[in-house]
Amino acid sequence: MMATNSIARRLIVAVIVSQLLLAAGVFVVAVYFTHRQLVAAFNSALQGRAMSIAALVHYSEDEKPTLEFQQDLVPPPLEAAHQDLYKATDQTGRIIAQSAGWPTVLMSANSPYTDFDWHGEHYRALRLTHVPVLDREAATPASDFLTVEYASPILPVTRAVARLRLYIAGGCALLLCVTVPLAIWGLRRGLRPLEDLAANAALISTSNWELNPGSEAMSTEELAPLTKAMSSMLDGLRRAFTQQREFLANAAHELKTPVAILKSTLQSLLQRPRSSEEYRAGLEQALDDMARLEKLLHSMLRLARAEQWAAGSLQRDLAEIDLRSTCDTAVDFLSPLARERGVHIQVSSNGPIPVRADPEDLELVWTNLLENAVRFTPHHTSVLVRLHSDGDCGVVEIADAGPGIPADELPRIFERFHRGDTSRARDTGGYGLGLAISKAVVEAYGGSITPKSEPGVGTRMIVCIPKQS
Amino acid sequence: MRVLIVEDERRLAENIARSLRESAGYAVDCCFDGEDGLHMAETNPYDLLVLDLMLPKIDGLTLLTRVRSRGAQYPVLVLTARDEKQSVVALLNAGADDYLCKPFDLGELMARSKALIRRGKGQSAAVLKIADIEISTADLTVRRQGKPIPLTAMEYRVLEYLAHRPGAVVSKTELLEHLYDFNWERFSNVIEVYISGLRRKLEHDDTKLIHTLRGQGYMLGVG
Repeated sequence: MMATNSIARRLIVAVIVSQLLLAAGVFVVAVYFTHRQLVAAFNSALQGRAMSIAALVHYSEDEKPTLEFQQDLVPPPLEAAHQDLYKATDQTGRIIAQSAGWPTVLMSANSPYTDFDWHGEHYRALRLTHVPVLDREAATPASDFLTVEYASPILPVTRAVARLRLYIAGGCALLLCVTVPLAIWGLRRGLRPLEDLAANAALISTSNWELNPGSEAMSTEELAPLTKAMSSMLDGLRRAFTQQREFLANAAHELKTPVAILKSTLQSLLQRPRSSEEYRAGLEQALDDMARLEKLLHSMLRLARAEQWAAGSLQRDLAEIDLRSTCDTAVDFLSPLARERGVHIQVSSNGPIPVRADPEDLELVWTNLLENAVRFTPHHTSVLVRLHSDGDCGVVEIADAGPGIPADELPRIFERFHRGDTSRARDTGGYGLGLAISKAVVEAYGGSITPKSEPGVGTRMIVCIPKQS
Repeated sequence: MRVLIVEDERRLAENIARSLRESAGYAVDCCFDGEDGLHMAETNPYDLLVLDLMLPKIDGLTLLTRVRSRGAQYPVLVLTARDEKQSVVALLNAGADDYLCKPFDLGELMARSKALIRRGKGQSAAVLKIADIEISTADLTVRRQGKPIPLTAMEYRVLEYLAHRPGAVVSKTELLEHLYDFNWERFSNVIEVYISGLRRKLEHDDTKLIHTLRGQGYMLGVG
């Protein structure tokens, strides 16, 4: 089972949770403040009513005036359907006015307001003390003080708060119904380039190296570095992979002909009974075929190592060697052939030329080039090998006095299996690979091979090997 | 039978040639590049062309196309180091009759060569029958009613060639051209010797198998 964590799902959950929290916050704050406002308004309404009750207390017209209450002017209750309660007493505790059914309530000592239940309703009572009787001459100090209590059901407040709660909750729910799908859509839309990129990356295989992220992923700021890195990585991988595959295909292909020769030699030997001389000759032929095959294998492995090293997939500690010594080894190797053809190989250099390289690689290159030169130069002429330094390069020039290579053929001599003519193909026994391999090896070192040829005069191969690869 | 091998790997060409000579009794010419090959293919009557694809000077496919465009009818067996479908299709479309991928088996090459030659002469069975005589091209033996008839190598070659074209008049020159390689003119007076040898070994008093048509040539057939 694969991991089922989804960025989209997690983001959506986060958005929904934060929206719910926001809605809850709005709800709590709105309800709290509105409730406070409504209570304050209710309190001031209570205060007004209490003052009205106080204002309805007046002195009688008697000789000895007493405090009376004008019952018929009592204002209507704050909440029409419910009864308000009031009570007024003077400083002696005499009850001057009292609504019907004033309950015996323990009024709070430290707050003017007291909440209580009466006849199944929540009531709030206000007690005002030291209220001077208003019915007196102006500028006369009050002689009587009243204590007024007024109570009214707190119903309007609770009803309003309940309604408010309903409205806000409904509003929030409605808003969430719109914003949540919107957020989900937006997130999905926003994540699409990422999904496209992932889907495209999933299509990559050894037969499809193309990352096709689409313009959206390319233009997405966060994804651009990723797509760029992936593309360049894929490019590198594809090149390495193709190189390996090509090498394998080429190797298999190039081995076919020598293997076919060896096989046919052995099979024709077995075709019928033969004399021991014939068998001996046949075995010698087979050994000869083997030697050619071995040489090809050796060259190909050298090439593979040099190419791998150039591609960075092979670490090699290269010691500093003298270019001259590698040339001398190759000349020694070819001296039997040179003697046989009556060709003199002349090497000249002034001072050692140190380069960093595997001596066997360079020996392979010189051997290939020298072998061609020795074979193509006429009998009793010389092949000249000249070494010198040119800036950062060690230069080796191999010149023969052979028939030369026509200008139109010159660019093709490094192609695999290219053979100038019949005689060359058979004599060198190289299957037309020597120059191709030499070029690849030299290029793996960051160097170059330049052929210069003048028909009738000779051919010069100029090889540059960087001193520090 | 006479075969032309065009193959630039001299060693491979020689091995194939040796095999064809020894185990099929064919006359074989070898060429090592496309130019020589084309020249030989155009100037001599061959019974089979064994052609390498990658050749110096003129490549195999071009050679094949040229040879076919000039009306050569003999079968062509192509040797190739490639085995990609495309090149095989291109080869067959250019007029090749069969192909072998390197490295191939010499035995298979022999068998295919014999089959191609048979087909080229309009025969399909590997055992050719004339009256009560059976010629097995697989092991180069001749039998009458199961009993082997000992023939010399050259007698066998003459008989095999005639048996591939029963009822047809085969001239002495044609026999020489098809039984010897490019030195055939040196052997011009020996055909009669082989024919008389064959008559002695194959014919009874009452059946005549090899007929001589004066001034025209020989014909193999009953009656």
